[in-house]
Amino acid sequence: MPAEEMGKVTDRMRFVFAVSSLIFLAVLAISPFKDYRREWKQYKRSYLRFAQGRPDTKRLTADYSPDIDQIWLPGMNLVDRCTTCHQGITQASLADKSVPEPFRVHPPIPHNVREWGCTICHRGQGPATEVAEAHESTLAWEQPVLPTHFIQASCGTCHQSDLPQTPQLARGRQLLAELNCQGCHKMQGIDRPAMLGPDLSSIGTKVSREWIYKWLKEPRTIVDKDGNVTVNGYETQEEPRMPKFRLTETEIRALTAFLSVQKARPFAPYKISPAVVATWSKNPELISQGELRFRQMFCSTCHSLAVTRGGETKLIGGDIAPELTKVGSKVNPGWLIAWLRDPQAYLPHTRMPRYGWSDEDLYKVTQYVTTKLVDSDLLSGVPKLDAPADAEIQLGHRLFAEKGCASCHVIEGLNPQKDFGPDLSALGGKNASELEFGTAKIPHNLVSYIQAKLEDPVSVNPAARMPQYTWNQADLDAVTTALLSMKGAPATSALQNLVVPRKEASFRATGSFAEVYERYKCYTCHKFNGYGGDLAPDLTYEGSRAQRQWLVEFLKSPQTLRPTLILRMPQFNMSDKDAATLADYLSMVMQHPAVNPAGVDAKQFTPAMATLGKQLYEVKYQCQSCHTIGGSGGYVGPNLNNAGGWLTPAWIEAWLKNPQALVPDSMEPRRNFTDEEIKALTAYLMTLRAGIQPQKTASNTRALAWGHGAGK
Amino acid sequence: MRTHNFAIAALVAAAICGVTGCRKHAETAKSDPLLAAYDSEPDWNDSAKMIPLSYQQAQGKRVFYQYCVWCHADATPAGPSNRSNLTPVPPLLNDGATLNAESDEYLQNIITLGGSAMGKSAMMPPYGRALSAEEIRSVIAFTRAIAQPPYQPPGRPGSQYSAK
Repeated sequence: MPAEEMGKVTDRMRFVFAVSSLIFLAVLAISPFKDYRREWKQYKRSYLRFAQGRPDTKRLTADYSPDIDQIWLPGMNLVDRCTTCHQGITQASLADKSVPEPFRVHPPIPHNVREWGCTICHRGQGPATEVAEAHESTLAWEQPVLPTHFIQASCGTCHQSDLPQTPQLARGRQLLAELNCQGCHKMQGIDRPAMLGPDLSSIGTKVSREWIYKWLKEPRTIVDKDGNVTVNGYETQEEPRMPKFRLTETEIRALTAFLSVQKARPFAPYKISPAVVATWSKNPELISQGELRFRQMFCSTCHSLAVTRGGETKLIGGDIAPELTKVGSKVNPGWLIAWLRDPQAYLPHTRMPRYGWSDEDLYKVTQYVTTKLVDSDLLSGVPKLDAPADAEIQLGHRLFAEKGCASCHVIEGLNPQKDFGPDLSALGGKNASELEFGTAKIPHNLVSYIQAKLEDPVSVNPAARMPQYTWNQADLDAVTTALLSMKGAPATSALQNLVVPRKEASFRATGSFAEVYERYKCYTCHKFNGYGGDLAPDLTYEGSRAQRQWLVEFLKSPQTLRPTLILRMPQFNMSDKDAATLADYLSMVMQHPAVNPAGVDAKQFTPAMATLGKQLYEVKYQCQSCHTIGGSGGYVGPNLNNAGGWLTPAWIEAWLKNPQALVPDSMEPRRNFTDEEIKALTAYLMTLRAGIQPQKTASNTRALAWGHGAGK
Repeated sequence: MRTHNFAIAALVAAAICGVTGCRKHAETAKSDPLLAAYDSEPDWNDSAKMIPLSYQQAQGKRVFYQYCVWCHADATPAGPSNRSNLTPVPPLLNDGATLNAESDEYLQNIITLGGSAMGKSAMMPPYGRALSAEEIRSVIAFTRAIAQPPYQPPGRPGSQYSAK
């Protein structure tokens, strides 16, 4: 630049100055513009426009402010700004599907959204003010929103008892317990029962080495090329409890060698009376008689059999105990007899009751099992296995501990490794960066990790010792939900206070009752004060409900009371003494505090009252839509043929007043009866008597139809 | 010269734009309607088709399978249904041809008060004292969700957002 021009303002400089000023102004203007265009402000404005188009604008905009809205709960360490955009969550009128998100109302749940915030259930990043940061995970913020499909996990974080509103969570917790996950993993709220897998201390007396080989190779499960699961060749929806371990041929041989020599408690062989054998062994009816007894004793309440009808094979029966279709080819016949006579001698923790057997029945049933429930091809794929060599046994012994077998199966003198698998009690709260994804090509988030690990453990960790399970999608999702619910110990005391602990159910049977109760394993199916199974009626108030004499007769010869029930109480061949012991205890101890069986005197009922009651039953209230009397009526409630010989009048009155007060989830509707109507109906029901005899009901015919196909 | 200045201006503007960030939209994950649903129920007429359920509809499903299924479905958790035992035969719960025409208020009343109070069969008992009003509302929501042909809610008068 020439010297004379220094300090002179040229047009060009003016122009440059003007342009740069304009640019500077524009830059300054971008900032407020950007602020105006912020995502959450756009949602704020669009809510206002939306509300103005609704008839209830005033209510919808009563709380409106143009600023960030947040729920701040210091005790829970929670700042949720979700309501900045989700502005209609408490507006009941915004429930309709036509309301655009994010303005729709939150569904009516038992918690008030304003008191609990959002992220406590939905996860995600509460303080974020951008859609992506709030919902997805970024490098800095790692908790993505939990898909609604798994939201029940959040209920389970605080509610450690199962809630009726969360069936998926309950199913997941049930599966975790049933599949014995607690054998290797520590988990929140799932305890280790007395027995996980069967005690194998004497397995060598029960099955052959070849059978063990087959079992280890394909634990009952066969998955065909289409992914269908079959059990012993039959399709089932139930997952066998024993998963498949990835074992080499040498490992299988070693384990079979080790297991086949386990004979810690040899069974005492029982010799069936020669007279019985002589009478029956040549009888052509032997097998069909055995099958009949098998059916009459209702073994199928707990065990299932594969039945082929109309070209379709399916498992019929209960899932409490093993499926028995081919058990005759599995167990040693001498062992079977000893087992049936006294199961608890072989497996102290078994849930199998000790039946009262006559030699005749024992012979017939064992002959049926060992000739009909067989498959000559069962072990055809198994190579010839010789007597186990010492080296094999040694290796098997080591593998039994190393592979984690000892985590579920007891063998006398062998201590399980403590905490064999990782502790899962805080898995549900982990961030993606705390998880090992290996080379798996899956989205890096907790849900994908859990599902990949469950479906194929080696996919995320090639060295995984976890065995292979087979899942259907619903069960996989249920177990994922249960695992997501386990977030470990609450971080703050305010959160700690939110935990609703499990109700500890305990029932201690005492005296001579305890002996009979343990012998028949009543708690496998029935509940006593909250403890026990849920297959059969809860007996907590049985003493208030049933007459003592009826209990004795029922125990000696159980009949189904509910026409639609397929699974029935087994016929235990109970002695008079055992039946009396049980009936006495139930009558005296298992009573409802508000229903005293002696409180209502049956003498007060007159025939006139019964006539009125009959009329109320049949015409005004039409109880026959659900209950059967005689040959006609519905299949929903129990049949009332013998109501007068079964129920106590005090129970009937209390029940008619308020069924849900006695059995909270009873489906019997609570009606608005007058006291006079209740007396009349009770009088009528007390006139209904029928001796104990097989009743022709829907379930009877079904059960018989299935029974005929069994084992064929 | 002019072009030179404009080039500077454009460069500055581009830089500003780059710094302030033209908003990058995060990829939205594939939205599976069942993943966004609380629960689901197979279409009764086509079990391969799953119907997503909201929280309220899922609660209705639970109440339905405990109390109503015995007479308002052809298959029950126990196997046989009581429906064929009854005259008049109760409607299936997914029977849209019958139930779509009834208002929510009517259904709420007949469940609460029973059939006889509404001039229908006394075989339908009143559930108003066994179930809460909320539970009954949820059963109706479930009914609407599984209805075949599908249920169309009545339009909300005076609102541009009402269903067409």
